[in-house]
Amino acid sequence: MSVDIREIEDFLYAEADLLDRTDLENWMALFTDDGTYWMPVREDQDDPLNEISILYENRTLMAIRCNNFGHRLAPSMEYPVRCNHIISAVRVTGEDEARGLLTVTSKFQAVVCYREQTLYAGRYTHRLQKEPDGYKIRQKRVDLINCDANHKSLLIYI
Amino acid sequence: MTYSKEKIGRLVEEARVHRSVYTDPELFELEMDRIWGHSWVYVGHESQLAKPGEFITTTVGKEPVILVRDKADAIHVLYNRCGHKGSKVTARPCGKNSVFRCPYHGWTYQLDGKLQMTPHKIGYENTGFDPEDPQFSLRPVARVASHRGFVFACLASDGPDFREFMQDTIATIDNMVDRSPEGEVEVVGNCLPYMHDCNWKMFVENLNDAVHPMVAHASVGKATEKLMKSLPEGTPYPPEAEIIFPFGSAYDLFDSMKVTTMPYGHSYMGGEQSIHTGYSDIPGYFEALVAGHGEDKAKTILSRNRHNTTVYPSFTIKDAVQVIRVVRPISVNQTLIQSWHFRLKGAPEQLLHRTITYSRLINSPASMVGPDDWDVYSRMQESLQSNAAEWVDMHRYLGRDELVEDSDLKRAPGTSDLTMRNQYQAWLEYMTVETAA
Ligand SMILES: [Fe+2]
Repeated sequence: MSVDIREIEDFLYAEADLLDRTDLENWMALFTDDGTYWMPVREDQDDPLNEISILYENRTLMAIRCNNFGHRLAPSMEYPVRCNHIISAVRVTGEDEARGLLTVTSKFQAVVCYREQTLYAGRYTHRLQKEPDGYKIRQKRVDLINCDANHKSLLIYI
Repeated sequence: MTYSKEKIGRLVEEARVHRSVYTDPELFELEMDRIWGHSWVYVGHESQLAKPGEFITTTVGKEPVILVRDKADAIHVLYNRCGHKGSKVTARPCGKNSVFRCPYHGWTYQLDGKLQMTPHKIGYENTGFDPEDPQFSLRPVARVASHRGFVFACLASDGPDFREFMQDTIATIDNMVDRSPEGEVEVVGNCLPYMHDCNWKMFVENLNDAVHPMVAHASVGKATEKLMKSLPEGTPYPPEAEIIFPFGSAYDLFDSMKVTTMPYGHSYMGGEQSIHTGYSDIPGYFEALVAGHGEDKAKTILSRNRHNTTVYPSFTIKDAVQVIRVVRPISVNQTLIQSWHFRLKGAPEQLLHRTITYSRLINSPASMVGPDDWDVYSRMQESLQSNAAEWVDMHRYLGRDELVEDSDLKRAPGTSDLTMRNQYQAWLEYMTVETAA
Protein backbone atom coordinates (compact mmCIF):
# COMPACT_ATOMS: atom_id res chain seq x y z
CA MET A 1 0.00 0.00 0.00
CA SER A 2 1.52 3.29 -0.96
CA VAL A 3 1.13 5.72 1.89
CA ASP A 4 1.16 9.44 1.28
CA ILE A 5 1.87 11.04 4.66
CA ARG A 6 0.61 14.41 3.43
CA GLU A 7 -2.73 12.85 2.58
CA ILE A 8 -2.96 11.37 6.07
CA GLU A 9 -1.99 14.66 7.71
CA ASP A 10 -4.64 16.45 5.71
CA PHE A 11 -7.20 13.88 6.81
CA LEU A 12 -6.31 14.40 10.49
CA TYR A 13 -6.39 18.19 10.10
CA ALA A 14 -9.79 18.02 8.44
CA GLU A 15 -11.11 15.77 11.17
CA ALA A 16 -9.86 18.10 13.92
CA ASP A 17 -11.28 21.06 12.02
CA LEU A 18 -14.78 19.52 12.14
CA LEU A 19 -14.43 19.25 15.93
CA ASP A 20 -13.18 22.84 16.10
CA ARG A 21 -16.34 23.86 14.28
CA THR A 22 -18.41 21.51 16.53
CA ASP A 23 -19.79 19.91 13.37
CA LEU A 24 -20.44 16.53 14.96
CA GLU A 25 -22.65 15.29 12.15
CA ASN A 26 -19.95 15.52 9.51
CA TRP A 27 -17.33 14.46 12.01
CA MET A 28 -19.06 11.17 12.79
CA ALA A 29 -19.49 10.51 9.10
CA LEU A 30 -15.70 10.03 8.98
CA PHE A 31 -16.07 6.80 10.96
CA THR A 32 -16.79 3.34 9.57
CA ASP A 33 -20.12 1.82 10.63
CA ASP A 34 -18.31 -0.15 13.33
CA GLY A 35 -16.02 2.78 14.18
CA THR A 36 -15.33 3.77 17.79
CA TYR A 37 -13.94 6.73 19.72
CA TRP A 38 -12.02 5.79 22.85
CA MET A 39 -10.60 7.94 25.66
CA PRO A 40 -9.09 5.69 28.39
CA VAL A 41 -8.90 6.76 32.02
CA ARG A 42 -5.67 4.86 32.65
CA GLU A 43 -2.22 4.89 31.07
CA ASP A 44 -1.60 1.85 28.86
CA GLN A 45 -5.22 0.72 29.23
CA ASP A 46 -5.85 -2.03 26.70
CA ASP A 47 -9.50 -2.92 27.32
CA PRO A 48 -12.49 -0.61 26.74
CA LEU A 49 -15.15 -3.24 27.62
CA ASN A 50 -14.05 -4.69 30.95
CA GLU A 51 -12.64 -1.47 32.39
CA ILE A 52 -14.03 2.02 32.76
CA SER A 53 -13.01 4.73 30.29
CA ILE A 54 -13.83 8.42 30.10
CA LEU A 55 -15.36 7.81 26.67
CA TYR A 56 -15.91 4.76 24.50
CA GLU A 57 -18.51 5.50 21.87
CA ASN A 58 -19.85 3.68 18.84
CA ARG A 59 -21.89 5.19 16.02
CA THR A 60 -25.10 4.81 18.05
CA LEU A 61 -23.73 6.96 20.84
CA MET A 62 -22.17 9.42 18.41
CA ALA A 63 -25.60 9.84 16.82
CA ILE A 64 -27.29 10.40 20.20
CA ARG A 65 -24.57 12.88 21.12
CA CYS A 66 -25.08 14.64 17.82
CA ASN A 67 -28.80 15.04 18.61
CA ASN A 68 -28.02 16.11 22.18
CA PHE A 69 -25.29 18.63 21.37
CA GLY A 70 -26.53 22.18 21.91
CA HIS A 71 -29.98 20.88 22.93
CA ARG A 72 -32.10 23.67 24.38
CA LEU A 73 -33.29 21.43 27.25
CA ALA A 74 -29.80 20.50 28.50
CA PRO A 75 -28.57 22.82 31.28
CA SER A 76 -24.96 21.97 30.40
CA MET A 77 -25.53 23.17 26.84
CA GLU A 78 -26.43 26.74 27.71
CA TYR A 79 -22.81 27.77 27.19
CA PRO A 80 -20.86 27.89 23.97
CA VAL A 81 -18.30 25.17 23.27
CA ARG A 82 -15.27 26.27 21.28
CA CYS A 83 -12.15 24.28 20.53
CA ASN A 84 -8.85 24.66 18.81
CA HIS A 85 -6.70 21.68 17.90
CA ILE A 86 -3.02 21.57 17.03
CA ILE A 87 -1.68 18.28 15.69
CA SER A 88 1.93 17.38 15.04
CA ALA A 89 4.36 14.47 14.70
CA VAL A 90 2.04 12.48 12.47
CA ARG A 91 3.56 9.05 11.82
CA VAL A 92 2.40 5.78 10.31
CA THR A 93 3.25 3.18 12.92
CA GLY A 94 1.46 0.15 11.53
CA GLU A 95 0.29 -1.15 8.17
CA ASP A 96 -1.92 -4.11 7.33
CA GLU A 97 -1.81 -4.13 3.56
CA ALA A 98 -4.17 -7.08 3.08
CA ARG A 99 -6.99 -5.41 5.01
CA GLY A 100 -6.16 -1.87 3.95
CA LEU A 101 -5.60 -0.76 7.55
CA LEU A 102 -3.20 1.86 8.81
CA THR A 103 -2.23 2.82 12.33
CA VAL A 104 -1.32 6.49 12.63
CA THR A 105 -0.04 8.15 15.79
CA SER A 106 0.19 11.86 16.37
CA LYS A 107 0.54 14.38 19.17
CA PHE A 108 -2.11 16.95 19.88
CA GLN A 109 -2.98 19.91 22.01
CA ALA A 110 -6.63 20.90 22.16
CA VAL A 111 -7.79 24.06 23.85
CA VAL A 112 -11.44 23.80 24.81
CA CYS A 113 -13.39 26.81 25.94
CA TYR A 114 -16.44 25.65 27.86
CA ARG A 115 -17.35 27.82 30.87
CA GLU A 116 -13.59 28.09 31.39
CA GLN A 117 -10.63 27.46 29.13
CA THR A 118 -8.93 24.08 29.49
CA LEU A 119 -5.87 22.65 27.77
CA TYR A 120 -6.01 18.96 26.89
CA ALA A 121 -2.89 17.31 25.50
CA GLY A 122 -1.77 13.85 24.56
CA ARG A 123 -1.43 11.28 21.84
CA TYR A 124 -3.86 10.22 19.15
CA THR A 125 -3.87 6.74 17.70
CA HIS A 126 -6.01 6.53 14.56
CA ARG A 127 -6.79 3.18 12.98
CA LEU A 128 -7.65 4.14 9.44
CA GLN A 129 -9.42 2.09 6.79
CA LYS A 130 -8.41 2.78 3.20
CA GLU A 131 -11.50 3.17 1.04
CA PRO A 132 -11.82 3.95 -2.67
CA ASP A 133 -12.55 7.63 -1.98
CA GLY A 134 -10.10 8.18 0.87
CA TYR A 135 -9.86 7.11 4.51
CA LYS A 136 -12.40 6.18 7.19
CA ILE A 137 -11.73 5.90 10.92
CA ARG A 138 -12.06 2.44 12.49
CA GLN A 139 -10.96 3.77 15.85
CA LYS A 140 -9.72 7.04 17.25
CA ARG A 141 -7.97 6.54 20.57
CA VAL A 142 -7.18 9.61 22.67
CA ASP A 143 -4.60 9.19 25.41
CA LEU A 144 -4.63 12.32 27.53
CA ILE A 145 -1.41 12.87 29.47
CA ASN A 146 -3.64 13.54 32.46
CA CYS A 147 -6.11 10.74 31.70
CA ASP A 148 -6.52 9.94 35.41
CA ALA A 149 -6.84 13.55 36.62
CA ASN A 150 -9.92 14.88 38.44
CA HIS A 151 -11.58 16.23 35.31
CA LYS A 152 -14.58 18.50 35.19
CA SER A 153 -17.26 18.14 32.51
CA LEU A 154 -16.13 17.46 28.97
CA LEU A 155 -18.85 18.29 26.44
CA ILE A 156 -17.21 17.42 23.17
CA TYR A 157 -14.88 14.85 21.65
CA ILE A 158 -11.25 15.93 21.75
CA MET B 1 -16.62 30.27 67.44
CA THR B 2 -19.49 32.07 65.76
CA TYR B 3 -21.79 29.03 65.45
CA SER B 4 -23.48 28.15 68.73
CA LYS B 5 -25.68 25.09 68.93
CA GLU B 6 -28.72 27.38 68.85
CA LYS B 7 -27.51 29.20 65.77
CA ILE B 8 -26.92 25.94 63.90
CA GLY B 9 -30.36 24.77 65.00
CA ARG B 10 -31.92 27.76 63.28
CA LEU B 11 -30.43 26.75 59.88
CA VAL B 12 -32.66 23.71 59.46
CA GLU B 13 -36.44 23.83 59.55
CA GLU B 14 -38.98 21.12 58.83
CA ALA B 15 -39.14 21.80 55.12
CA ARG B 16 -36.34 24.25 54.32
CA VAL B 17 -32.66 24.86 55.02
CA HIS B 18 -30.72 28.06 55.18
CA ARG B 19 -28.50 28.67 52.14
CA SER B 20 -25.38 29.05 54.30
CA VAL B 21 -25.21 25.27 54.83
CA TYR B 22 -23.92 25.13 51.25
CA THR B 23 -21.80 28.26 51.17
CA ASP B 24 -20.23 29.03 54.55
CA PRO B 25 -16.63 27.79 54.88
CA GLU B 26 -16.94 27.82 58.65
CA LEU B 27 -19.87 25.38 58.53
CA PHE B 28 -17.83 23.22 56.15
CA GLU B 29 -15.02 23.02 58.71
CA LEU B 30 -17.54 22.07 61.41
CA GLU B 31 -18.99 19.39 59.13
CA MET B 32 -15.56 17.91 58.54
CA ASP B 33 -15.24 17.41 62.29
CA ARG B 34 -18.78 16.69 63.43
CA ILE B 35 -20.16 14.72 60.46
CA TRP B 36 -17.14 13.36 58.59
CA GLY B 37 -15.18 12.91 61.80
CA HIS B 38 -17.99 11.04 63.59
CA SER B 39 -19.81 8.97 60.97
CA TRP B 40 -18.59 5.78 59.28
CA VAL B 41 -16.95 6.87 56.03
CA TYR B 42 -16.27 4.50 53.12
CA VAL B 43 -12.55 3.93 52.57
CA GLY B 44 -12.14 1.21 49.94
CA HIS B 45 -12.72 -2.42 49.02
CA GLU B 46 -10.58 -5.30 50.23
CA SER B 47 -10.14 -6.61 46.68
CA GLN B 48 -7.98 -3.53 46.04
CA LEU B 49 -5.49 -4.99 48.51
CA ALA B 50 -5.60 -8.67 47.63
CA LYS B 51 -2.07 -9.42 48.86
CA PRO B 52 -0.15 -8.49 52.03
CA GLY B 53 1.60 -5.15 51.63
CA GLU B 54 -0.89 -3.83 49.07
CA PHE B 55 -2.39 -0.48 49.93
CA ILE B 56 -4.48 2.41 48.66
CA THR B 57 -4.54 6.01 49.85
CA THR B 58 -7.60 8.21 50.17
CA THR B 59 -9.21 10.64 52.58
CA VAL B 60 -11.71 10.39 55.41
CA GLY B 61 -13.14 13.88 55.59
CA LYS B 62 -10.00 16.01 55.45
CA GLU B 63 -7.73 13.33 56.88
CA PRO B 64 -5.33 11.57 54.50
CA VAL B 65 -5.36 7.83 55.21
CA ILE B 66 -3.79 4.58 54.03
CA LEU B 67 -5.83 1.39 53.73
CA VAL B 68 -3.37 -1.52 53.90
CA ARG B 69 -3.25 -5.29 54.34
CA ASP B 70 -0.49 -6.41 56.71
CA LYS B 71 1.59 -9.60 56.62
CA ALA B 72 -0.91 -11.39 58.88
CA ASP B 73 -3.71 -10.49 56.43
CA ALA B 74 -5.26 -7.92 58.79
CA ILE B 75 -6.66 -4.69 57.34
CA HIS B 76 -5.61 -1.32 58.79
CA VAL B 77 -6.64 2.26 58.18
CA LEU B 78 -3.72 4.49 59.17
CA TYR B 79 -3.33 8.25 59.11
CA ASN B 80 -0.94 9.03 56.27
CA ARG B 81 1.26 11.17 58.49
CA CYS B 82 4.78 10.38 59.65
CA GLY B 83 5.10 10.29 63.45
CA HIS B 84 8.20 12.45 63.20
CA LYS B 85 7.47 15.73 61.39
CA GLY B 86 4.16 14.89 59.75
CA SER B 87 5.06 14.23 56.13
CA LYS B 88 2.81 11.90 54.16
CA VAL B 89 4.70 8.61 54.01
CA THR B 90 3.33 7.82 50.56
CA ALA B 91 1.89 10.01 47.83
CA ARG B 92 0.84 7.15 45.54
CA PRO B 93 -2.86 6.32 45.03
CA CYS B 94 -2.07 2.60 45.40
CA GLY B 95 0.89 0.26 45.54
CA LYS B 96 2.66 -2.54 47.36
CA ASN B 97 5.20 -2.06 50.16
CA SER B 98 6.94 -4.26 52.69
CA VAL B 99 7.25 -1.25 55.02
CA PHE B 100 6.29 2.42 54.80
CA ARG B 101 9.35 4.64 54.78
CA CYS B 102 9.01 8.37 55.20
CA PRO B 103 10.89 10.02 52.30
CA TYR B 104 11.98 12.95 54.49
CA HIS B 105 14.11 11.56 57.38
CA GLY B 106 13.71 7.84 56.73
CA TRP B 107 11.55 6.73 59.65
CA THR B 108 10.16 3.33 58.69
CA TYR B 109 6.91 1.72 59.77
CA GLN B 110 5.54 -1.80 59.75
CA LEU B 111 2.40 -2.39 57.68
CA ASP B 112 0.33 -2.19 60.86
CA GLY B 113 1.73 1.30 61.47
CA LYS B 114 4.16 0.47 64.27
CA LEU B 115 7.42 2.43 64.19
CA GLN B 116 10.15 0.00 63.12
CA MET B 117 13.25 2.10 62.81
CA THR B 118 14.62 5.62 63.03
CA PRO B 119 17.99 6.16 61.31
CA HIS B 120 21.12 7.21 63.20
CA LYS B 121 19.77 6.16 66.62
CA ILE B 122 22.66 7.63 68.56
CA GLY B 123 21.08 11.07 68.38
CA TYR B 124 18.05 9.93 70.39
CA GLU B 125 20.03 8.28 73.17
CA ASN B 126 19.34 9.80 76.59
CA THR B 127 16.87 12.29 75.17
CA GLY B 128 13.75 10.70 76.65
CA PHE B 129 12.56 9.80 73.14
CA ASP B 130 10.54 6.58 73.36
CA PRO B 131 10.12 4.75 70.03
CA GLU B 132 7.40 2.60 71.63
CA ASP B 133 5.23 5.65 72.29
CA PRO B 134 2.19 5.37 69.95
CA GLN B 135 2.46 9.05 69.08
CA PHE B 136 5.52 8.17 66.97
CA SER B 137 3.72 5.46 64.98
CA LEU B 138 1.60 5.74 61.84
CA ARG B 139 -1.51 6.08 63.93
CA PRO B 140 -4.59 3.97 63.27
CA VAL B 141 -7.99 5.63 62.96
CA ALA B 142 -10.28 5.01 65.92
CA ARG B 143 -12.49 2.32 64.36
CA VAL B 144 -12.51 0.18 61.21
CA ALA B 145 -15.20 -2.21 60.02
CA SER B 146 -15.53 -4.31 56.91
CA HIS B 147 -18.65 -5.86 55.44
CA ARG B 148 -18.22 -8.28 52.53
CA GLY B 149 -15.03 -6.46 51.57
CA PHE B 150 -16.38 -2.90 51.87
CA VAL B 151 -14.20 -1.11 54.41
CA PHE B 152 -15.51 1.84 56.42
CA ALA B 153 -13.67 3.91 59.02
CA CYS B 154 -14.80 6.12 61.87
CA LEU B 155 -12.39 8.72 63.23
CA ALA B 156 -14.21 8.89 66.57
CA SER B 157 -14.09 6.16 69.19
CA ASP B 158 -17.58 6.96 70.45
CA GLY B 159 -20.91 6.89 68.64
CA PRO B 160 -22.88 4.07 67.00
CA ASP B 161 -21.11 0.88 66.02
CA PHE B 162 -20.89 0.00 62.33
CA ARG B 163 -23.98 -2.23 62.09
CA GLU B 164 -26.15 0.22 64.01
CA PHE B 165 -24.90 3.02 61.76
CA MET B 166 -25.52 1.17 58.49
CA GLN B 167 -29.15 0.34 59.30
CA ASP B 168 -30.98 -1.27 56.37
CA THR B 169 -28.37 -0.10 53.84
CA ILE B 170 -26.38 -3.23 54.66
CA ALA B 171 -29.03 -5.13 52.65
CA THR B 172 -28.06 -3.16 49.55
CA ILE B 173 -24.41 -4.19 49.88
CA ASP B 174 -25.54 -7.77 50.50
CA ASN B 175 -27.75 -7.71 47.44
CA MET B 176 -24.95 -6.46 45.22
CA VAL B 177 -22.53 -9.13 46.46
CA ASP B 178 -25.18 -11.88 46.35
CA ARG B 179 -25.68 -11.09 42.68
CA SER B 180 -22.35 -12.85 42.20
CA PRO B 181 -22.85 -16.62 41.74
CA GLU B 182 -19.82 -17.02 44.04
CA GLY B 183 -21.05 -14.45 46.56
CA GLU B 184 -18.01 -12.21 46.02
CA VAL B 185 -17.24 -9.01 44.13
CA GLU B 186 -14.00 -7.34 43.17
CA VAL B 187 -13.01 -3.86 42.02
CA VAL B 188 -11.98 -3.64 38.37
CA GLY B 189 -9.76 -0.94 36.95
CA ASN B 190 -9.12 2.57 38.11
CA CYS B 191 -11.79 4.77 39.54
CA LEU B 192 -13.40 7.34 37.32
CA PRO B 193 -12.93 10.70 39.07
CA TYR B 194 -15.12 13.73 38.44
CA MET B 195 -14.44 17.07 40.11
CA HIS B 196 -17.59 19.05 40.96
CA ASP B 197 -17.78 22.79 41.62
CA CYS B 198 -20.34 22.44 44.38
CA ASN B 199 -20.86 21.65 48.02
CA TRP B 200 -20.83 17.90 48.78
CA LYS B 201 -24.42 17.94 50.03
CA MET B 202 -25.79 19.01 46.63
CA PHE B 203 -24.43 15.84 45.10
CA VAL B 204 -25.67 13.63 47.95
CA GLU B 205 -29.15 15.20 47.87
CA ASN B 206 -29.46 14.71 44.13
CA LEU B 207 -28.97 10.93 44.21
CA ASN B 208 -32.51 10.22 45.31
CA ASP B 209 -34.01 13.37 43.79
CA ALA B 210 -36.49 11.90 41.33
CA VAL B 211 -38.02 15.20 40.33
CA HIS B 212 -35.01 16.31 38.32
CA PRO B 213 -34.38 13.59 35.69
CA MET B 214 -37.31 14.44 33.43
CA VAL B 215 -36.18 18.06 33.44
CA ALA B 216 -32.39 18.12 33.74
CA HIS B 217 -31.95 14.96 31.64
CA ALA B 218 -34.78 15.54 29.19
CA SER B 219 -32.48 16.31 26.28
CA VAL B 220 -30.62 13.02 26.26
CA GLY B 221 -33.92 11.13 26.38
CA LYS B 222 -35.21 13.11 23.41
CA ALA B 223 -31.90 12.73 21.57
CA THR B 224 -32.15 8.96 21.99
CA GLU B 225 -35.79 8.94 20.90
CA LYS B 226 -34.92 10.93 17.80
CA LEU B 227 -32.27 8.38 16.85
CA MET B 228 -34.62 5.44 17.39
CA LYS B 229 -37.27 7.06 15.21
CA SER B 230 -34.74 7.49 12.42
CA LEU B 231 -34.03 3.74 12.35
CA PRO B 232 -36.13 1.23 10.39
CA GLU B 233 -39.21 0.12 12.31
CA GLY B 234 -38.67 -2.91 14.55
CA THR B 235 -34.96 -2.18 15.10
CA PRO B 236 -34.19 -3.49 18.61
CA TYR B 237 -33.06 -0.98 21.18
CA PRO B 238 -29.30 -0.82 21.37
CA PRO B 239 -28.10 -1.53 24.96
CA GLU B 240 -26.95 2.08 25.28
CA ALA B 241 -30.47 3.36 24.64
CA GLU B 242 -31.81 0.93 27.23
CA ILE B 243 -29.60 2.59 29.85
CA ILE B 244 -30.20 6.20 28.86
CA PHE B 245 -33.93 6.10 28.17
CA PRO B 246 -35.30 5.61 31.70
CA PHE B 247 -33.56 8.83 32.77
CA GLY B 248 -36.31 10.69 30.98
CA SER B 249 -39.12 8.64 32.59
CA ALA B 250 -42.32 10.26 33.81
CA TYR B 251 -43.01 11.39 37.38
CA ASP B 252 -45.43 8.47 37.87
CA LEU B 253 -42.74 5.87 37.32
CA PHE B 254 -40.44 7.52 39.87
CA ASP B 255 -43.30 7.98 42.34
CA SER B 256 -44.10 4.27 42.09
CA MET B 257 -40.45 3.45 42.86
CA LYS B 258 -40.86 5.00 46.34
CA VAL B 259 -38.11 6.32 48.58
CA THR B 260 -37.28 4.86 51.97
CA THR B 261 -35.36 6.68 54.67
CA MET B 262 -33.75 5.61 57.92
CA PRO B 263 -31.79 7.11 60.81
CA TYR B 264 -28.35 8.71 60.24
CA GLY B 265 -29.50 10.26 56.94
CA HIS B 266 -29.50 7.10 54.82
CA SER B 267 -32.04 6.35 52.12
CA TYR B 268 -32.77 4.28 49.09
CA MET B 269 -35.04 4.49 46.10
CA GLY B 270 -36.82 1.54 44.55
CA GLY B 271 -37.15 -1.87 46.15
CA GLU B 272 -39.24 -4.24 44.13
CA GLN B 273 -38.76 -2.28 40.95
CA SER B 274 -36.47 0.46 39.76
CA ILE B 275 -35.43 2.01 36.48
CA HIS B 276 -33.02 -0.94 36.15
CA THR B 277 -35.81 -3.53 36.13
CA GLY B 278 -36.36 -3.50 32.38
CA TYR B 279 -32.83 -4.49 31.27
CA SER B 280 -32.57 -7.44 28.92
CA ASP B 281 -31.54 -10.68 30.56
CA ILE B 282 -27.99 -11.77 29.99
CA PRO B 283 -27.73 -15.37 28.71
CA GLY B 284 -26.36 -17.81 31.26
CA TYR B 285 -26.49 -15.43 34.19
CA PHE B 286 -29.63 -16.70 35.86
CA GLU B 287 -28.42 -20.31 35.44
CA ALA B 288 -25.07 -19.42 37.05
CA LEU B 289 -26.87 -17.70 39.91
CA VAL B 290 -29.12 -20.72 40.47
CA ALA B 291 -26.06 -23.01 40.45
CA GLY B 292 -24.43 -20.81 43.08
CA HIS B 293 -27.37 -20.03 45.37
CA GLY B 294 -30.29 -22.32 44.47
CA GLU B 295 -33.35 -21.20 42.55
CA ASP B 296 -35.36 -19.66 45.39
CA LYS B 297 -32.53 -17.49 46.64
CA ALA B 298 -31.54 -16.54 43.08
CA LYS B 299 -35.06 -15.28 42.41
CA THR B 300 -35.15 -13.37 45.69
CA ILE B 301 -31.81 -11.73 44.93
CA LEU B 302 -32.93 -10.55 41.50
CA SER B 303 -36.31 -9.36 42.77
CA ARG B 304 -34.62 -6.81 45.02
CA ASN B 305 -33.98 -3.81 42.89
CA ARG B 306 -32.97 -0.69 44.72
CA HIS B 307 -32.17 2.06 42.25
CA ASN B 308 -29.76 3.91 44.45
CA THR B 309 -28.83 3.66 48.11
CA THR B 310 -27.16 6.50 49.98
CA VAL B 311 -25.09 5.83 53.07
CA TYR B 312 -24.84 9.35 54.39
CA PRO B 313 -22.48 11.14 53.98
CA SER B 314 -19.86 9.35 51.89
CA PHE B 315 -21.11 6.32 50.00
CA THR B 316 -23.72 5.68 47.33
CA ILE B 317 -24.33 2.32 45.74
CA LYS B 318 -26.34 0.94 42.84
CA ASP B 319 -26.51 -2.74 43.69
CA ALA B 320 -28.32 -3.76 40.50
CA VAL B 321 -25.55 -2.30 38.31
CA GLN B 322 -22.56 -2.86 40.63
CA VAL B 323 -21.35 0.72 40.71
CA ILE B 324 -20.56 2.85 43.74
CA ARG B 325 -19.93 6.56 43.89
CA VAL B 326 -17.80 7.87 46.70
CA VAL B 327 -18.00 11.45 47.98
CA ARG B 328 -14.76 13.27 48.90
CA PRO B 329 -15.37 16.88 50.00
CA ILE B 330 -12.50 19.20 49.06
CA SER B 331 -13.81 22.56 50.22
CA VAL B 332 -17.14 24.28 50.80
CA ASN B 333 -17.60 24.63 47.04
CA GLN B 334 -15.67 21.72 45.61
CA THR B 335 -16.33 17.97 45.80
CA LEU B 336 -14.57 15.04 44.19
CA ILE B 337 -16.79 12.13 43.13
CA GLN B 338 -15.13 8.80 42.41
CA SER B 339 -16.99 6.02 40.61
CA TRP B 340 -15.78 2.47 41.27
CA HIS B 341 -16.88 -0.61 39.36
CA PHE B 342 -17.27 -4.18 40.50
CA ARG B 343 -17.10 -7.58 38.85
CA LEU B 344 -19.56 -10.21 40.07
CA LYS B 345 -17.28 -13.23 40.43
CA GLY B 346 -18.58 -16.20 38.47
CA ALA B 347 -21.02 -14.15 36.35
CA PRO B 348 -20.89 -13.88 32.52
CA GLU B 349 -18.62 -11.05 31.45
CA GLN B 350 -21.53 -9.23 29.77
CA LEU B 351 -22.62 -8.16 33.24
CA LEU B 352 -19.35 -6.34 33.74
CA HIS B 353 -19.68 -4.82 30.27
CA ARG B 354 -23.07 -3.47 31.28
CA THR B 355 -21.68 -2.09 34.55
CA ILE B 356 -18.93 -0.32 32.64
CA THR B 357 -21.26 0.97 29.92
CA TYR B 358 -23.75 2.19 32.50
CA SER B 359 -21.14 4.17 34.39
CA ARG B 360 -19.61 5.65 31.26
CA LEU B 361 -23.02 6.81 30.09
CA ILE B 362 -24.20 8.17 33.44
CA ASN B 363 -21.21 8.94 35.70
CA SER B 364 -18.42 9.98 33.33
CA PRO B 365 -17.41 13.64 33.20
CA ALA B 366 -17.86 13.22 29.44
CA SER B 367 -21.25 11.51 29.61
CA MET B 368 -24.55 13.07 28.49
CA VAL B 369 -26.02 12.81 32.00
CA GLY B 370 -23.38 13.79 34.59
CA PRO B 371 -22.57 17.20 33.05
CA ASP B 372 -26.23 18.27 33.31
CA ASP B 373 -26.21 17.45 37.02
CA TRP B 374 -22.83 19.14 37.36
CA ASP B 375 -24.17 22.25 35.75
CA VAL B 376 -27.22 22.64 37.97
CA TYR B 377 -25.13 22.09 41.10
CA SER B 378 -22.67 24.76 40.09
CA ARG B 379 -25.51 27.14 39.24
CA MET B 380 -26.87 26.70 42.76
CA GLN B 381 -23.44 27.06 44.32
CA GLU B 382 -23.05 30.37 42.52
CA SER B 383 -26.52 31.77 43.01
CA LEU B 384 -26.90 30.79 46.66
CA GLN B 385 -24.36 33.56 47.28
CA SER B 386 -27.15 35.92 46.33
CA ASN B 387 -28.83 37.90 49.07
CA ALA B 388 -32.14 37.78 47.23
CA ALA B 389 -33.46 35.00 49.44
CA GLU B 390 -32.23 33.03 52.42
CA TRP B 391 -33.89 29.61 52.16
CA VAL B 392 -33.81 26.44 50.08
CA ASP B 393 -37.09 24.57 49.91
CA MET B 394 -37.94 20.89 50.58
CA HIS B 395 -41.75 20.77 50.78
CA ARG B 396 -42.63 18.00 48.32
CA TYR B 397 -44.98 15.41 49.88
CA LEU B 398 -44.40 16.87 53.34
CA GLY B 399 -46.63 15.22 55.95
CA ARG B 400 -47.48 12.25 53.74
CA ASP B 401 -44.75 9.81 54.80
CA GLU B 402 -45.79 6.34 55.84
CA LEU B 403 -44.06 4.63 58.73
CA VAL B 404 -42.90 1.13 57.91
CA GLU B 405 -44.16 -1.22 60.60
CA ASP B 406 -41.74 -2.50 63.25
CA SER B 407 -38.87 -0.38 61.98
CA ASP B 408 -37.33 3.08 61.91
CA LEU B 409 -38.03 3.28 58.19
CA LYS B 410 -40.16 5.95 56.56
CA ARG B 411 -41.50 5.66 53.04
CA ALA B 412 -42.88 8.16 50.54
CA PRO B 413 -43.58 8.50 46.81
CA GLY B 414 -40.34 8.58 44.82
CA THR B 415 -40.55 12.29 44.06
CA SER B 416 -40.91 13.24 47.74
CA ASP B 417 -38.31 15.52 49.33
CA LEU B 418 -38.32 13.07 52.25
CA THR B 419 -34.75 11.92 51.61
CA MET B 420 -33.48 15.51 51.85
CA ARG B 421 -35.49 16.32 54.94
CA ASN B 422 -34.13 13.12 56.46
CA GLN B 423 -30.55 14.07 55.57
CA TYR B 424 -30.94 17.45 57.25
CA GLN B 425 -32.38 15.78 60.33
CA ALA B 426 -29.18 13.75 60.53
CA TRP B 427 -27.10 16.83 59.69
CA LEU B 428 -28.66 18.68 62.59
CA GLU B 429 -28.08 15.81 65.00
CA TYR B 430 -24.41 15.51 64.02
CA MET B 431 -23.84 19.26 64.03
CA THR B 432 -25.41 20.01 67.40
CA VAL B 433 -24.09 17.19 69.59
CA GLU B 434 -22.38 18.32 72.77
CA THR B 435 -18.65 18.21 72.16
CA ALA B 436 -16.05 17.83 74.86
CA ALA B 437 -14.23 20.89 73.53
FE1 LIG C 1 -29.30 13.69 37.50
